[in-house]
Amino acid sequence: MTSDPIVEIDHFRMDFGSTTVIQDLSFEVRRGETFGFLGSNGSGKTTTLRALLGIYRPTSGRLLIDGTPFDPDSALRLGYLPEERGLYKKESVIDVMSYFGRLKGLDKREARRWSMEYLERVEIADKARTRVDKLSGGEQQKVQLGVTIMNQPELLILDEPTKGFDPVNRRLLMDIIDEQRASGATVLMVTHQMEEVERLCDRIILLKDGAARAYGTVTEVQEEFGGLTIILDYAGALPESADYGIVSQGGGRAILSVDNGADLAGILRALIDAGMTVTRFEPRRRSLDDIFVEVYGDEAGE
Amino acid sequence: MARHNLRTVIGFELGRNLSKPRFWIITLVIPIALMVVFALVLLSNTSTSATTDAQKNAHISFSYRDRSGVVDAALAAELGGTPTADPAAAIAAVKAGRSQAFFDYPADPSQHAVKVYGQDRDVFANGVYGSVAQSLLQLSAQQKLDSPKLVQLAGGGASSVTVTYRDGRETAGFNGLIAPILYLVAFYLLIILLGNQMLASTLEEKENRVTEMILTTINPTSLILGKIISLFALGLVQMVVFALPLVAAYALFRTQLNIPTLDLSHLALDPQQMIVGALILIGGFALFTGTLVAIGAIMPTAKDAGPIFGILLVLIFIPFYIMTLVVSDPTAPIVELFTWFPYSAPVTALLRNAFGTLPLWQGVALAVELLALAAIVLRIAVQLFRYGSIEYGRRVSLRGALTRRRGAATQPSAETAAR
Repeated sequence: MTSDPIVEIDHFRMDFGSTTVIQDLSFEVRRGETFGFLGSNGSGKTTTLRALLGIYRPTSGRLLIDGTPFDPDSALRLGYLPEERGLYKKESVIDVMSYFGRLKGLDKREARRWSMEYLERVEIADKARTRVDKLSGGEQQKVQLGVTIMNQPELLILDEPTKGFDPVNRRLLMDIIDEQRASGATVLMVTHQMEEVERLCDRIILLKDGAARAYGTVTEVQEEFGGLTIILDYAGALPESADYGIVSQGGGRAILSVDNGADLAGILRALIDAGMTVTRFEPRRRSLDDIFVEVYGDEAGE
Repeated sequence: MARHNLRTVIGFELGRNLSKPRFWIITLVIPIALMVVFALVLLSNTSTSATTDAQKNAHISFSYRDRSGVVDAALAAELGGTPTADPAAAIAAVKAGRSQAFFDYPADPSQHAVKVYGQDRDVFANGVYGSVAQSLLQLSAQQKLDSPKLVQLAGGGASSVTVTYRDGRETAGFNGLIAPILYLVAFYLLIILLGNQMLASTLEEKENRVTEMILTTINPTSLILGKIISLFALGLVQMVVFALPLVAAYALFRTQLNIPTLDLSHLALDPQQMIVGALILIGGFALFTGTLVAIGAIMPTAKDAGPIFGILLVLIFIPFYIMTLVVSDPTAPIVELFTWFPYSAPVTALLRNAFGTLPLWQGVALAVELLALAAIVLRIAVQLFRYGSIEYGRRVSLRGALTRRRGAATQPSAETAAR
């Protein structure tokens, strides 16, 4: 990974009539990193990606890929898995894959060869001559994924990649993302799966009300939102204290929240001194899931 | 890359259409229907001809009364006729079955009909009586003319050759009409046969939700141009297939099918008419294609787009309601209106061009108008596809799609705004 940005979004604003979807958004994605683009439903993530890819024109601001506005005719190898997915339905799998392969710059033979190898890998090579609309939903997802990565993309943009995927295809997708990362691709992904983000992403941005709520590495965002949580297994009565907050308790387990830099040893000592039997005292950074709930929790009921 | 992709789109679109049974079923329906009609006509002509010959050559015995004095007695006797002065007895003999037929020739056969009485054979065989009666009269009349020349002229065998001039130059007449009118035929075939495919060409991406994938893979201009070029090529394939039975029928069964001889040596090709016609055809095709593609980009489904296609079809047929004026009075205001209104212009102008009533300056101006408008409409179509086709499953606001490219001043769908 280098600090050289492949995606630059600078003071992006997007209005639809009187509705402002994005107010003023700026961030960049560095070459070779895996970047998580997070936000609740309706926060403008897909709009941002579409504006970045030239499907929408921004109201104002600059959205650049490789230093210029996106142009499908440019030399950049892009793989894009949109949230709204579809393929030509009446043609055979191999014809559709070859067509996209050729549009992405492969010659006919190479496109067919790559497609057959991919179909063998995902175990649907026997469906190569089958019409796309005769495939199951899971098989269509595999084909769609193949089309997305068939030109060894330098930049892979995935909009909710695991949406609608069954566990088998989700695993396949994750393996493929890992492979793409390993081969040097930059990955920009929109997702609601926080465990995926924690496992895959180098840096993230949280979008709220059309602006960045948090931006940085996963650790930086966790630290920005503060603190640690302590998982406490105990017997006895849990006293209240100014040194921690009780997030939840019951069944002999409590989750406490403490500020960064809190005296953890002092808290443990105080609990023991209060007559409790402590069998587990495990401090952790706050999970992205907790942070996500904190940032967007007020929108959940909307 | 753009050129490579244009070729790829053309190859894909051609391949997928030519490999579909539906395309060939639609394409072959008309030629097969034509061949069936030709076969029926052929059979019918053979049968009619045989029947007529049989009737003409049929030998019957009959009596006749001639008040005209035209009938030649020797000829009548040769054909089996016997003169009689008592028509009532002759009719009674027919009724009683003693005589096959009786012909009563009036004093002036050119003014009054010959009355023919005969024994019933069957509906078709009964025609023999009339045939013999008329043949006898015709042959007798010809014998009274002692000149073969007069006989031919009396039979309407005179021909004429017309030479006309315009601006001091000889005009081509009917022979000059044939080649440029083919442009009009081509225009109709292209629009009627390919209209629905033009309409569906961009709807498919929308209905299958391929828009985002495709827009990030290929420039929409290349995509749409590729689709249009492949449609044009498909239209040519269809026209060749349609023409095959006509050419075969002309080459093999021209006489039997009563197809007039096409003497290509007399076919007049006026370069001005041919060039202007070609430009108007191309301009008209491009305009209608662009418009249909634009409609496809706006409408959510082919079903929704159908009624608008219907309106366009009406516009290409409307000029035929003023066909007489187009030919006889091309300067009439309604003809001028139809000539210059873009969507009725191709048909009206191609008609006028064929009849030689479209001045060169008007032809050139119309071609420019159609091509310029086609370029604008195609650009709008690309724009609508690029910024409008993302609205899956709903009709796109024209204003919305066109203004969105500049940052949008209109309300998006709830679905779009929610992302």
